[in-house]
Amino acid sequence: MHPLSNLGRALLNRRDFLANTATGLSGVALASLCAAESGPIRPSIRPESPLAPRQPHFEAKAKRVLHIFCSGACSHLDTWDYKPELVKRHGQPMPGTDKLVTFQGENGNLSRSPYAFKQHGESGKYVSSLIPNLAELVDEMCFIHSMTAKASSHGPGESQANTGFALEGFPSAGAWVTYALGTENQDLPAYVAIPDPRGVPQIGPANWNNAFLPAVFQGTAFNADRPIANLKSARALDPRSESAARDFLKLLNDEHLKRNPEDSELAARIAAYEMAGRMQLKAAEVADLTRETKATHAAYGTDDSNKYTAGFARNCLLARRLLESGVRFVQLFNGAFAMGEGVGNWDGHKQLKADYDRHGPILDRPLAALLRDLKSRGLLKDTLVVWSTEFGRMPTFQKGTNGRDHNPKGFTTWFAGAGVKRAYSHGATDEFGHKSVEKVATVFDFHATMLHLLGLDHERLSFYSSGIERRLTDVHGHVIREVLA
Amino acid sequence: MIRFGLALSLGLLVALSAEGEPVAFRADVAPLLQKKCLLCHAGERAKGGLDLTTRAKAIEGGANGPALAPGKAAASKLFKMVADGKMPPKNPLSASEIETLRRWIDEGAKWDGEPLRAAVEAAKRAGADWWSLQPIRRPSVPNIANASNPIDAFILSELKKRGLSANPPADRRTLIRRVTLDLTGLRPTPDDVAAFEADPSPLAYERLVDRLLASPAYGERWGRHWLDVVRFAESSGYEVNNPRPNAWGYRDYVIRALNRDVPFKQFVREQLASDTVSEGDPWATGFLVGGSHDLVGNQTEEGTRQIRSDDLFDMVSTTSTAFLGLTAGCARCHDHKFDPIAQRDFYALEAIFAGVVHEERPLRGADRAGHASEVAATRKRFAELDRELDAAEPLANPMASRNSRPPINARRNVERFEPVEALFVRMTISATNNGAEPCIDEFEIYIPERVGGNLALTGKATASSEYPNADIHKIRHLNDGKLGNSRSWISAEAGRGWAQIELPRVAKIDTIVWGRDREQKFVDRVPSKYRIEVSLDGKDWRAIASDSDRGPSYVPPEKSKSLSTERMSLELKLAGLERVPTAYIGNFKQPSPTFLLKRGDVMQPGDAVTPGAIRAVGRSLELKANATDPERRTALADWLADPMNPLPARVMVNRVWHFHFGQGLVRTPSDFGFNGDRPSHPELLDWLASEFRDNGGYLKPIHRLIVMSNTYRQSSRIDAERARIDTTNRALWRFPSRRIEAEAVRDTVLQTTGTLNRQAGGPGYQIWNTSNYVTIYEPKKMLGPDEFRRMVYQFKPRTQQDGTFGAFDCPDATTATPRRPVSTTALQALNLLNDAFVHDQADRFAERVRTAGTTRDQVNFAFRFALQRAPSEREASAAERLLTDVGLNHLCRMLLNANEFVTLE
Repeated sequence: MHPLSNLGRALLNRRDFLANTATGLSGVALASLCAAESGPIRPSIRPESPLAPRQPHFEAKAKRVLHIFCSGACSHLDTWDYKPELVKRHGQPMPGTDKLVTFQGENGNLSRSPYAFKQHGESGKYVSSLIPNLAELVDEMCFIHSMTAKASSHGPGESQANTGFALEGFPSAGAWVTYALGTENQDLPAYVAIPDPRGVPQIGPANWNNAFLPAVFQGTAFNADRPIANLKSARALDPRSESAARDFLKLLNDEHLKRNPEDSELAARIAAYEMAGRMQLKAAEVADLTRETKATHAAYGTDDSNKYTAGFARNCLLARRLLESGVRFVQLFNGAFAMGEGVGNWDGHKQLKADYDRHGPILDRPLAALLRDLKSRGLLKDTLVVWSTEFGRMPTFQKGTNGRDHNPKGFTTWFAGAGVKRAYSHGATDEFGHKSVEKVATVFDFHATMLHLLGLDHERLSFYSSGIERRLTDVHGHVIREVLA
Repeated sequence: MIRFGLALSLGLLVALSAEGEPVAFRADVAPLLQKKCLLCHAGERAKGGLDLTTRAKAIEGGANGPALAPGKAAASKLFKMVADGKMPPKNPLSASEIETLRRWIDEGAKWDGEPLRAAVEAAKRAGADWWSLQPIRRPSVPNIANASNPIDAFILSELKKRGLSANPPADRRTLIRRVTLDLTGLRPTPDDVAAFEADPSPLAYERLVDRLLASPAYGERWGRHWLDVVRFAESSGYEVNNPRPNAWGYRDYVIRALNRDVPFKQFVREQLASDTVSEGDPWATGFLVGGSHDLVGNQTEEGTRQIRSDDLFDMVSTTSTAFLGLTAGCARCHDHKFDPIAQRDFYALEAIFAGVVHEERPLRGADRAGHASEVAATRKRFAELDRELDAAEPLANPMASRNSRPPINARRNVERFEPVEALFVRMTISATNNGAEPCIDEFEIYIPERVGGNLALTGKATASSEYPNADIHKIRHLNDGKLGNSRSWISAEAGRGWAQIELPRVAKIDTIVWGRDREQKFVDRVPSKYRIEVSLDGKDWRAIASDSDRGPSYVPPEKSKSLSTERMSLELKLAGLERVPTAYIGNFKQPSPTFLLKRGDVMQPGDAVTPGAIRAVGRSLELKANATDPERRTALADWLADPMNPLPARVMVNRVWHFHFGQGLVRTPSDFGFNGDRPSHPELLDWLASEFRDNGGYLKPIHRLIVMSNTYRQSSRIDAERARIDTTNRALWRFPSRRIEAEAVRDTVLQTTGTLNRQAGGPGYQIWNTSNYVTIYEPKKMLGPDEFRRMVYQFKPRTQQDGTFGAFDCPDATTATPRRPVSTTALQALNLLNDAFVHDQADRFAERVRTAGTTRDQVNFAFRFALQRAPSEREASAAERLLTDVGLNHLCRMLLNANEFVTLE
């Protein structure tokens, strides 16, 4: 289209140029220590192609990640974590927790789920009737029932779930992964965040933040109904005029580069404009859902009468097309910011059943269709699917209400696909589902395991910021070996 | 790499101590202990329990008994172990060192001053001997021919050592463009360029620099740099991310302070404690609360503490990175792994801020002399009027017709009746004005003449129900003497409910006063149908008042009318007195004790810690546990501005250098610790720091020194040969060219197109539509001249980025950004090519250009405004062709996209 001049090309091919620290892409004080046995590993990144694919630290099971995130704290007790004791002791106080105060205040009595649990799949896993389609896929899933989180309010909780830190200001898991591995398709964003049709999740862009990593590793946010900002010109342009204009720009830049020989940053910017041109074509093509068959649309439910279900179904379909095209990390959000308790997301404080009756179907069929589709296309072999939420909910109803308060002490997440066991359940909460008691896992462990499956050592993947080699897992985390296939 | 400071031979120091003279503890013994003993024998985890950091602890000894017997070396375990060569196990002392130790103990083991800190192997971590903690010493300027500016002497001397040479000077057009963009964030006009190119005076450049430094645009540019360093934003962050509509004044303060070049001491003092400075700028303390604050709250003890702990952590880490270049925040959970910052130091700093809360504070007026007493007097008269009006009200009579008494109001209602004996008083509500659960903020009971005051305060309140999960609406608030919604009772029954007071003994009462919200913020949930009854046994009840005789057509007696008029005027006066503009500049209260938190866990408080600073830095700062909040903040400000504190001056001049050259002499501007960079030119850094410190702490002279240097004025041209020797240009053999920041791109797009709105200060311009409840920021579709102000005046919510320019590595203000990365991405290209803002600006540019004359004139005009130069013949003819074939606005848009447009060279 607008090929780089030979001058620029030669410059970009030179190996030493990337030592230029003014780009901020190579770290500061320390050299890459990749060869060493321990210590930080900082990928060496070429400014003209910062997203070029890079080798993992060791052989990877998964090439890419689909992270489904349910914003608002999706109750484990009404979905994946079956507690017969809760049915038996329904309406009784929870033993040993007199006047227990949680996030919003005092708790009432134990309360069984309004949804019946039934066994599913060959594994006979109990799943609630809230999500019947997903329930059919339990044999693909690898549950972690013993999750714990650091914070009991949504902001810090969601921050930890997606950046490892309850405090604001740290890079998201997707930013870390693309920083480490680049991406397979240079004509698409490396890392895509797909907000729910109801709106952005609770801490908004902080969920796909690059923080102190260079901006190129930030998630690009778009969904099936809101395309990448500025991918198309804000004005209708005659393609020939635009092409002439870009030719002129190239001439200007080439002349400028001639006057500033050896300046690799200028060459990198020329390359970025070329990539933008290719992205305009390719990203539009990938986002074009009309290329899918009617049967596929029907399976996902993109024509559902509920506009949110249909919207989430289109997002699921978009996610598959992105993964298939080599996007490294796709974050698929289900649930939006708080529009009132439990209205826009899984935050069922006061009337859990009424809320979840709305939210369950939006998630269930489209996501089940996506998982089936990934499987039938063979993508599950090298795609890691993770499902998570910021924390769980209480086995009791809040005093004087019909809903559950926040519970960071026990909740469920699951993995599926590349490198993890199928039909497996790891860890457990206590008899009521209040606290994790068996093989207790942390969000750090969850992230460490995700990185491990991508061939990355969570203790070594780092970036210098404010006095320390920062990691996704802070100074914590253990790979949950038991879940590895 | 050159390191300076105390990395001297300690053995040599010992040998210097002359025979016969008593051993000097600080010079001879302390270094020995620090280097040879304290690595293991210090602090809580000292080996064998033996802590040698203080004399008392050394005498006390450890698991093996006392270690030091002053005056008796032979009886001291410390000496014996050392003399036997058992200690230190790997690195025994030399004979002369052992002798020094013996003499010191025999002479009484004199021990002066501070507890000792370990000197640490520089390969593993930084100790008290770390380079940046050593006093600033003014080095002599290297003697280099033709280097009139000391900066050049230092730079050239280093270049020479490495076999490099500096570039020739940049041409005049490049120079004026560079220095104007760098100092003001704007471009020179074509006229400025022409005039400078034509000015034959040798003083032309100097005059230009002085003009730029005096321009208000300087503060707008460099103020933005400081706002990065201190993570300033105008929203709360986290889930709700609510705007702080009155936080903008801190940004203006910073711009003002830089433009006036306030001395460093004042700059520090104002930001930490301007409330304690007469004539201090009240906005300055916006610094303290410029960070995130989780507004959601949390009913659990742990959650509540965590929010507070995170607030204080933010204040400590921001202050310490901004002024000290030390990452004290890392010591929140444990001693700093790399720098000599103990966990206790972190909590000592936390104690400094323990009185600071994330709140708005009246900007002025409230602290005006006499204001408080005027408010009190007005309130008192207001209360008297209430009582006089009460006395004028008719008695309640449940049998009487409507409109015999005033209608119910949300603020305050009185029930008067013939004195009646009562042990129980009950109000039963059967309807509210909006159908919601009823609310009563306070229920008062009096005997005649109100002798003894409100009896209800001593009674026991019970109710039919309480509003769930709301601590502020419990029945105990019915008679807690506190007014307003935030301490009120609400039932759990829509439109209904009863509340009763059981008095401690039977009393003959004649007045009851109740209201929904005496602070007059809420008018919902007001009981509209009710009855009030009394009882002596809780079984037989007698009605004494109800809503039935109240009504809107009630005609008050004349006396009431005049009292009402007076009360109304007082109400207005009070509102005026209380309507002092408030701002998000933090509020201050008396600090509660600070505890060290084990592993940073808010549920594991350890020892109490008194306010202080980092003990390894500067002079010691230790305050008493009962120091007031202003004392604490003032003391820290003074400690930071103390010329004996070597860090702030080094850190400030290095920041200035960083923004001028794109990389600092230390390339980690907020980290002068072990994990940070080492200075490329340590002597130059100290020379600049001493200039800054010794001349009053003014920044503009430092800028002037730098931009007047030949180092700054040299060309940016890359020479392949020299690039091989010094790829990263740390030695500064060229001026480092680089992409300009987001703000400079946006501001100069507007400037080039002739639409820049120079309105300075005040609330920021809005590029967002915001929702309420939790705040969601949706970009506005179209921007106009109100939004064409400089980007430093853009309302800045946390985590949200300008849709067009945010992608140019704008900080999202969740944490401090002392050094922005410089990314080059395809999304940046898409934004500058396709965004509606850029298209609109290109049109405006085209309109400006169109009047220039012939197409060739237009091309020349456009180049001069966008690139500050005339086009080459090749460029001009290509531009003319584009203009003719496709259109002028396309030409204009491509100029705004050009590499040259966004590059400082």
